[in-house]
Formats: sequence, structure tokens, C-alpha cells
Amino acid sequence: MENCDINKIAKMIDHTELKSNSGQKKILNLCNEAKMFGFVSVCINPAYVKFAYEQLKDSGVLVCSVIGFPLGMNTSKLKALEAEQAVSDGAKEIDMVINVGAMRDKKYDFVKDDIKQVVESSSPSHVKVIMETCYLTDDEIVKACQLAVEAGAHFVKTSTGFGAFGAFPHHVKLMRETVGPDIGVKAAGGISNFKDAIRLINAGANRLGTSAGVMILEGAKLFKFAPEAWLEPEIPCHICPSRHATMAKLPKAVYTYYKKKCLTCEHREKYNRFYD
Amino acid sequence: MNGWMGKIIKIDLSTGKQETVEIDDNIRRKYLGGRGLGVKLYTEICSPQTEPLCPQNALIFLTGPLTAVMPTSGRFHVISRSPLTNTICDSSSGGIFGAELKKTGLDGFIVTGKAAKPVYLNITDNGIEIRNAEHFWGLNTQQTKEAIIKETKAGSSVASIGPAGENKVLFAAIMNDKDRTAGRGGMGAVMGSKNLKAVVVKGTGKVSVNDPDALKAFLPKLDRLIDKNPITGKSLQLMGTSVLVNVMNAHGLYPTRNFQGGVFNDAEGVSGEKLSENFVHKKSACYKCPIACGRTTKTANKEGEGPEYETLWAFGAQLGVNDLTAITEANYVCNELGLDTITCGSTIGCAMELYEKGVFPFELKWGDADKLVKLVEDIAYKRGIGTELSLGSKRLAEKYGRPELAMQVKGMEIPAYDPRGVQGQALSYATNNRGGCHIKAYMIGPEILGSPVFLDRFATKGKAEIVALLQDISAMVDSIILCRFLQFAMSPSTFAEMLNIVTGLDFTDDELLKIGKRIYTLERKFNIEAGFTRKDDTLPPRFLNEFLPEGASRNRIVKLDEMLDRYYKIRGWDKNGVPTDETLKELEI
Repeated sequence: MENCDINKIAKMIDHTELKSNSGQKKILNLCNEAKMFGFVSVCINPAYVKFAYEQLKDSGVLVCSVIGFPLGMNTSKLKALEAEQAVSDGAKEIDMVINVGAMRDKKYDFVKDDIKQVVESSSPSHVKVIMETCYLTDDEIVKACQLAVEAGAHFVKTSTGFGAFGAFPHHVKLMRETVGPDIGVKAAGGISNFKDAIRLINAGANRLGTSAGVMILEGAKLFKFAPEAWLEPEIPCHICPSRHATMAKLPKAVYTYYKKKCLTCEHREKYNRFYD
Repeated sequence: MNGWMGKIIKIDLSTGKQETVEIDDNIRRKYLGGRGLGVKLYTEICSPQTEPLCPQNALIFLTGPLTAVMPTSGRFHVISRSPLTNTICDSSSGGIFGAELKKTGLDGFIVTGKAAKPVYLNITDNGIEIRNAEHFWGLNTQQTKEAIIKETKAGSSVASIGPAGENKVLFAAIMNDKDRTAGRGGMGAVMGSKNLKAVVVKGTGKVSVNDPDALKAFLPKLDRLIDKNPITGKSLQLMGTSVLVNVMNAHGLYPTRNFQGGVFNDAEGVSGEKLSENFVHKKSACYKCPIACGRTTKTANKEGEGPEYETLWAFGAQLGVNDLTAITEANYVCNELGLDTITCGSTIGCAMELYEKGVFPFELKWGDADKLVKLVEDIAYKRGIGTELSLGSKRLAEKYGRPELAMQVKGMEIPAYDPRGVQGQALSYATNNRGGCHIKAYMIGPEILGSPVFLDRFATKGKAEIVALLQDISAMVDSIILCRFLQFAMSPSTFAEMLNIVTGLDFTDDELLKIGKRIYTLERKFNIEAGFTRKDDTLPPRFLNEFLPEGASRNRIVKLDEMLDRYYKIRGWDKNGVPTDETLKELEI
């Protein structure tokens, strides 16, 4: 994105509030903010879909509900039912979490069918498939994207925001390359400012899931006054998933995968100040 | 007229004569109010040869076009030449004084001359009255406030000096509404030099707003902007500025023992968390402020406001003191006697290092908490050792032959962020027009807090651009006058929106930034004409040559040379830091 177009960014943001402790007032604020700042949707838990729909009808702001969230470990039938209910409550977009364990077990037919059941029960609403990229290797991310497309999903999405880490340009780029231009790519998790947002958009995202949308838009208004300085690249490690892979939060195999990439990284020699 | 009240009074205390200062609409549009208009007026009234403590020096109190209208708009700015730094200087304070002043029908007032005996100004809807203050001379700021309100009107707002200002301590502050402070640069000493003990304001007027309906519609948006920003919507609301102690310590930026280190091992014990647990008993807020960063605290002996982050550091880690009660009470005494806590603590720290190095004759040891309150009192009253400390660290260290041990820029002490771990903040300190101050371009925002984005704190590339930008934004916000904390949550275009709703004019963010740049450049021009040069845009050698010994900023020094030329170029200044003719012409200075 060469120019930081505020309206364009706003129309890419799913204004998000998914915490378990969020009460109705927070959802009301979320809806009001979405109207005020022109976000494309509010992304919320299913319990608030009906309420949010009431707040937003005729506003042009969509309601997006998460399904099987955040672990993706419900049965396919329950996910489909949950999606059906959300759509009937007013959700125009459904963000479902895949069964990450099944994906890692290479049970591809199961994963595809899991997605397909949600896609079918959500129609005509659009479905975004959250693959929780932090728990997958690059090859697994590519495969998960292919399965989502084959199952009829409209978007692939990086993260729930509840995993070990969120969206990185590396993963978004990989996903965009895999799904091509006709399927959406949503980056979510850890997007806290306009620099994060622009990086992810430049990597191929056309939708952003974030609770920091208001700040992102307001901050982005500063962009024009020193565009190159604001986007001055930090050392590559800052935005590399390998740097953020931690032993405590990742499966052994995934942790080892990322750290191996880190050890063989072309930038390691130049930017290894974290390791001195 | 919308936004502005359209009236500024100039009062000569030598003669008692008052006159109305006419402000052209064009000047108002170019300089707004507060700091900007104050600097413009100051440079027209005074010259770079005007000594700060002489009667000819002007002391200007100004509000801005948003004062008494928008949330956080109770602030005012005091503009003069600093006796501490000899630079042009503005100092800002919160509370309700600014709002009350504006409600009297004035945008502000200018004080020149010197009264033959102590006086105070009583400002109401009926104008300015000079009253005798001989019976208040010697009172501390709290006593002054109470006594003056008894003599005037309940609900009035009082800005006064304490004994430090009366004694012309070079870093004396002006205190208002009990514990709000126009702290930096010694504006209290200028006030004292005029025999002006206090100003009391009480107004009943209203500020005319161009579009009240638009204002009503805008306020919910403002509320959301403040609430959604984690700094204004959470950290400051929960803990005030003291939330920063543990953050800075974790980054290895918490200056310890006169900046000899960047990690204070006892930080946890003097942190905002500990202050909240043990001393805070209620929150306090300035005029129409939803953030309410103020903290009313209590020790076993006293009650007062604060300490804030900078003061926790100045009387804590800077001195190796880990006694939170001693720090809190030293802060109370500074407020009562009217002293800038940052310069006060930093100067004591300088003296402690001078003693450590064997060149200072008075025993002052790191961690000596028991001496703190007495030291502060001695400084305010210029007694004994306090006479020397009352000069600030630069003059003190020069006197003892170790100027490099004063942690200052242009004579103003650097506050609680070691610049070696934040290259942009280092450039901000070095180039600040009023000296070593953190708030004129708060690079801690992008370099540590990620506001508005994270910038690599150890990198120098791109920092000149951001420092200049934040300096211009700050100059503008200081002139419309809103609380600087709103800068975390709002962009210049939102400030322009607010300004347009209130004034009915058509400001854009580009114009506001140009105004900021104009103000900053005019300040610079004055300083250059007063004798400041490129060599003053530097930092103490410790930051340029000595690596931080431990912590998350270990082995870092400031790389000022990598940033300064670029900064001058962006500013439109020549290689010596002098604004070029083209720049002055472009900015219509």
C-alpha cells in the first residue's frame, strides 16, 4: 500500500471484541465505534450476535461471528449448528476455527468436511477459516488453505488471537500465494498499530481482525507526515514467527521447526543482537 | 469571536498601568494561543538581551482557543525567558486555572515591570486588580491559596509562588489549584523577581462555540478515541504516570545514581504499583478530564498530590533512594515551597556524584533518604548547602570543576529516561528549545510504548523526521491548549476537527503542523539570537561516551552525530542550526 488511505483501511477492519469477560456495554461501544469509524464489521462471540445485529441494522456494518472459537475442537455438527444459529441471528460473516489437531494429524478429509459443513450451514453468509498458523508449519498452512478453498470457504484467516502468536507477514504472504486473488486473506492477532496493518496488507491481507482499529485509523493519519520514517524497517526478527516461537506455548515439533528456521536464517549473522 | 475571548491585558507592575493588547486575526490564526501566541508576543516585547530576572522581562499567562470547552482544557501556559537556561521557555500546568481565567473574558495577560512591594492579581469578570500581598509573602503555596481565597471568592483558582519563587531559586515553579505545577524552567523565579506572589482568577463567562451541535456530536467520538487507546484509556487511568517505573526499569532506561546506570534494583519498591498499594487514596482530575491521571496520596504524616513518575525517579533512583515515604514527602515539600521536582532531584543527584568523586565538600551519600526533605527546604530558602543547589546542576557542577557530571541540556536537567537506550529521545533532548525536557517530542511513545507505532529504539535512521514531527505537533497542542496525553489518542486532523467546531475556521492538519513548525522555529530563532549555537544541541558526555553497564540497554551510547545534521536539514536550518532565510520566509516569521 503506497498511500495510507484511511477509508480503505477502515473497510478492511473487522472491529473485534472476543474476550470472555466482555459485557454487553463493550459490545454496544464496539458497534457504535464501528459505525463512527466506518469499519466493515464487528467480530464478536455468538452470544452477542442478535444484540449487535439490532444495533447495526441499516448501518452498513456487518456482524461477524466466530464459531468453534477459540480452540476449534467442537464436533463438526456442533460447529455447523452454531453457525446456523449465528446466521439466523444476523451474522453475515462466520469465522470458524479448524480442528488444528486433525490438521497436524494429516486427517485432511476430516478437516475439509469440518469446513464444508460450516460453509453449507452458513450460506449465504461468508465463511472465513481460521487455521491458527502459530501451530502449523509452512507446508501445513499451505495444505490447510487448499482444503479451505476446496471446501468452499470465502476467506482464509491466520489466527484466533488466543494462540501462541498472531499474524505475521510471512504467513499472510504464504496464504495469499496459495489461495490466489479470488479468495480473501484475513490477518488477525497482535495487530496493534498502523505499521502492523500496512505490513500485513502489503503481504497480501485484504481483511484485518483487530480490537485496535480505532487506534490504527487515528495513527494512520500521521503516516503522511513522515511515511518513510514511520515504516522504517525494524530488524527482520521483529516480524519473524521464528523469533516469537516459544517452547512453553508450542508443540515440540512446531517449536523445533521454527527454531531450525531461525538457526539457518540468512539474516541471523547480521541481526543476531538478541542472541549475543 | 468563537474560541478566543479576544482580549489580552498587559500590566506593568512598576507603574500599575494596564493596557489591552490588540491581536490581529492573522496573528491569531498563525500562532493560535498558549505557547505559540505567547512566544510570538514575548519576542515582540522582549529582546534576546532581556535578562530573565530583570523587570523588563515579560511573564505571559495564556489560554488557548479550546480552553474551557473541550475535555482536558483547563490548562494554561506561562511563557518567558528562563533564568535556569536563558532560553525562551514555556511551562504548562493543568487544574482549573486556565478555564477560570478564560471565563473572566480574557485569553490571558502579560506581566512586566516589578512591584515595589509584594502584590497579587485578582482577575474577575470586571478586570484585573492589583492587590497588596505583603501579608502573604513567606507563605507556602497551599497556605497562600487558602489565605487568598478567604480574601477573594470561594471557588477561585489560585496560581502562586512559594518561598522558592520569592527567593528566586532558578528552578522555582508556579503552583496552581494546590498541586498543579508549571514546573520547568524557573517561571516561579521570574514571578518572584516581579514581587508577584499570586494570581487569583474567577470568571462567570462562557466561551462562544461556533457549532454547539457539532460539538455535542463530536464528544462521543472523543470519548471513544480516549477509551480505545491503552495509554489514555487504561494505564493512565489505573495508575497515573507512575505506571512507567517498572516499564522503564525493564528496558534498562531508568536512570540510577545520576545516570551512572539504567537499572534500579529497588525499582519495584518505589514503583507505581507500590505507590497505589500503600499511599494512593483517591484519583484526581483536571478540568473536564476523563483520564484523571492525578493521584492524591497520604503518608503517615501528610497528604498531597503525587508523586508522579518523574518525581518518583528524581527523588528515588536518581539518588539511590528506595524509601517511598521519603520520596513522597519530598514531593509534597516541593509542591508547598514551589520547586520543580525534576531539576531539584537531579541537582541533588549531581551533588551526590560530586561528593562521591571527592570534589563536593558537603556529605551527600547515595540512598540518604533522611536528608531529602531538609535538602529541599534548604534549596527553597537558599540556606547553607541549599544556596549552591538552588543554582541547578549545570552551575553547581561547573563551580566544582566537573561540568560533565551535570545531566542537563542547555541548563535544564534531563528527566527519567536514559537516552542511551532510546536514540530518538536522545535527539529530542539535544534539540529541545527549552533544554533537557522529555515532553516536547515524547519519543518514548514510539520507541517504548508503541504509540502510534513501534520504532526500533536503538536505530537512528528515520528518527530526525519523527522528532521534528512530534516537536511540531506538541507545539501546536500547546497552543490550542489541550493535555499532551491526548496526543497518544489523537492525530492532528482530529485536533483540526475540534478547532474548527469551536472556532468556525477551516484549519487542516497540514496547516496545524505548519503552525507547530512556525512556533518551534520562532523559539529557535530567539535562542540563536540569544547566543545559542549548534554546540548547545548536545548531551552530557556520559551519554555519548560511556556505555550503559547493565540491563536491556546494556552497551549502548547515544549516536547523536548520526541524527543531528539530518534533523537540521528537515527543519530547514543550516549546518550551524540556524534557520535559513528561506525557512523563515516559508513559515512567514
